[in-house]
Amino acid sequence: MNGSRSKSVVLWTLVTIALVTLSAPTIVVLGASFTGGNIITFPPDGLSLRWYARISQASDLRNAFLRTLHVATVCTIVAIPVGTLAGIALAKYAVRFEKTIQIYLLLPFTIPLIGSGIGLMLIFGNAGILGQLWPVGIACCVINLPFMIWAVTASATGLDPDLELAAANCGAPPLQVFFSVTLPAVMPGVITGSLLMFILALNEFLVSLLLVDARIVTLPVLIYNSIRSIITPDLAAISVVFIACSAVAIFLLDRLVGLDIFLKSK
Amino acid sequence: MRAARTAYPLKWRIMDALEGIAAAIWPARFRRATPYLMLLPAVLLVGLLVLGLIQIADASLRTLDTTTFQFSDDYSIANFRRALTEPLFLVVAQRSLVAALIVTAVTLVFAFPYAYLMVRTRSPRLRKFLLIALFLPFFIGQVVRAYGWLIILGNQGMVNEALGLIGVAPMRLIYNYPAVLFGLVQYMLPFAVLMLAPALTAIPEELEAAAGSLGANWVRTFIHVVLPLARPGFIGAGVVVLTLSLTDFAVPAILGGGSQDFIANAIYDQFFRTSDQGLGATLALMLVALGSILVGLVFALFGAGTLAMGRSRA
Repeated sequence: MNGSRSKSVVLWTLVTIALVTLSAPTIVVLGASFTGGNIITFPPDGLSLRWYARISQASDLRNAFLRTLHVATVCTIVAIPVGTLAGIALAKYAVRFEKTIQIYLLLPFTIPLIGSGIGLMLIFGNAGILGQLWPVGIACCVINLPFMIWAVTASATGLDPDLELAAANCGAPPLQVFFSVTLPAVMPGVITGSLLMFILALNEFLVSLLLVDARIVTLPVLIYNSIRSIITPDLAAISVVFIACSAVAIFLLDRLVGLDIFLKSK
Repeated sequence: MRAARTAYPLKWRIMDALEGIAAAIWPARFRRATPYLMLLPAVLLVGLLVLGLIQIADASLRTLDTTTFQFSDDYSIANFRRALTEPLFLVVAQRSLVAALIVTAVTLVFAFPYAYLMVRTRSPRLRKFLLIALFLPFFIGQVVRAYGWLIILGNQGMVNEALGLIGVAPMRLIYNYPAVLFGLVQYMLPFAVLMLAPALTAIPEELEAAAGSLGANWVRTFIHVVLPLARPGFIGAGVVVLTLSLTDFAVPAILGGGSQDFIANAIYDQFFRTSDQGLGATLALMLVALGSILVGLVFALFGAGTLAMGRSRA
C-alpha cells in the first residue's frame, strides 16, 4: 500500500474497531462456555468443561440440533440443482425478459424475511404441511436462493462458450457437454453456493420461528426461547456448536475454492 | 462385432441411454427454450413467495370480529385504516426507518475501509485473516451473536462487572435504542463488506497511483477516484443493509428487550400475541411495499450495482 502515514492510521483505526466489534461476541461466547461457575461472571470462576458435559446429556438440545441439520440438508439438496440450472441459464444464454426474470429471482431478497416467512406459513398451513421439517428446509431454500444463483453465475461467466461448442463439435451430445464441460467449469460456484445455503439454513432463525411448533423447534429458535428467561453458560456451550460449524464451513470454503472468490469482481 | 459390444463401457451405455431419453423428451428443435426450462425450477420455487404474498393480501382485507374471533368473509380496508392511524404503529415504523438509515450510514463508513484494506493489502496473510474475521460472525447467525452481546453488555454483563471492579455503578447498556443500532451495525458489516469488495477489486490500483502522481493526497484520491468508482458496491451494500435492518426481527427482540420493537416485531405480535391475523397481514404487506419502494427507488436512481445477477456487460 503506497499511501501516507495518515492514510494507514485512519484506515487501521476504523478496521480495528470493525474487527473488535465483529469478533467480540464470538470470543465472549467461547470464553463463557468454559466457565466453572453457575452464572457467567467476569472475571470467570475458573475453567471447566462441565457445561459441555451438561449439553451432551440434554436430549432436547441434541434433537433440536439434529432437526436443524435435517432442515439445512433439505435446503441444500433442493438448492443445488435449482440454483445451478438457473445460474447457468442466466449467465450463458440471452434470455428474453432477462431483466424481469432477474428482478423476479431477487424477490427472496427484496421481500422482507418476515413477509416471506408469514406468506409461507399461510401457504403451508393451508396445504396442511405445517409441523413437518421438510417445508422449513424448502422455506430456507427459497429465501436464500439468490445466493446460490449468484455463486453459480459468478463462475459461469468465466466459462468460454467456445469450449462447449468445441465439445459438441467433437461429437458430444448435449448432456455430455453439460456434465463434462459446463458443470466442471461452474463447480467452484456450486460448492460456494451450497456451503452458503447449508450454513445459512443452519442459522436461519426468523423463518424457522414462524414455521416450527413446540414439537419441532430448531436450535436457533430453542436458543432464542431460552435467552429470554435467564443467561446460563449452557446456552454459551450450545452456541459453540454454531461457532464450530461456522469454522468448518470457512475451512472447507477456503480449501475447496479459496475465500478470495468473494473479492473477485464480476 | 459382439466383442466390440462388450468393450463398450457401462458408463457410456448409461450416458447413451440418458442422451436418448433427453433427446426424446426434449428434442433439438426445442433448444431455443432450453434456458427457460433451466430457469423453471427456480421460478416455481420463488413462486411460493408470490403465492404467500397473495395469501397475505387476502388476509389483510379481512377484519377480525373480536366477539367471535372469526374473520370476516367480505373484504374491507378497515385494517389499513387502523394500521395508518394507530399511533403505536407510526412510532414503530418511524423507529425502524430512522434506525435503518443510521445503521446504513454507520455500516458503510466502517465497511469501506475494511473492504479497501482487504482488497488492496499486499499480504495474503492479512487478507485471509480479514476474510476469516468477516465470515466467522457472518456464518454464526444472529441469535448467537445477540446472545454474545447480552453476555458483554447485560446488566450483570462483563462490562458492568468490570466497571464494578473499579467502583463504577452498573449502567444500563442494553434494552435501549443505541444497543439495537449497535447490534444491527455488527450484524450488517459482513454483508456490506462482501458487497463492496468486488466493486473495489474492479478499480485498477494504477488509477490511485496516477492520482497520487498528479499531486492528489490520499483524501482527494478517495473522494474523486475511489469512492465514485466504487459506486456499484455502495449501491449494493446500501440496499442490502437498508432493507435488512429495516425489516430485522432478532436484534430488536433480543437487544431491545421488547421495548424497542421494529415493524417485524409488531407484525409477529399481531400474529402470535393478539392473534389478529388480518392486521398482522396488513402490516406485513405495508412493510413489503415500503421495502420494495426503497429498493426500486435506489435501483431507478443508481442501477442495480453489485446486486445484478446476470451476464456481465462490460
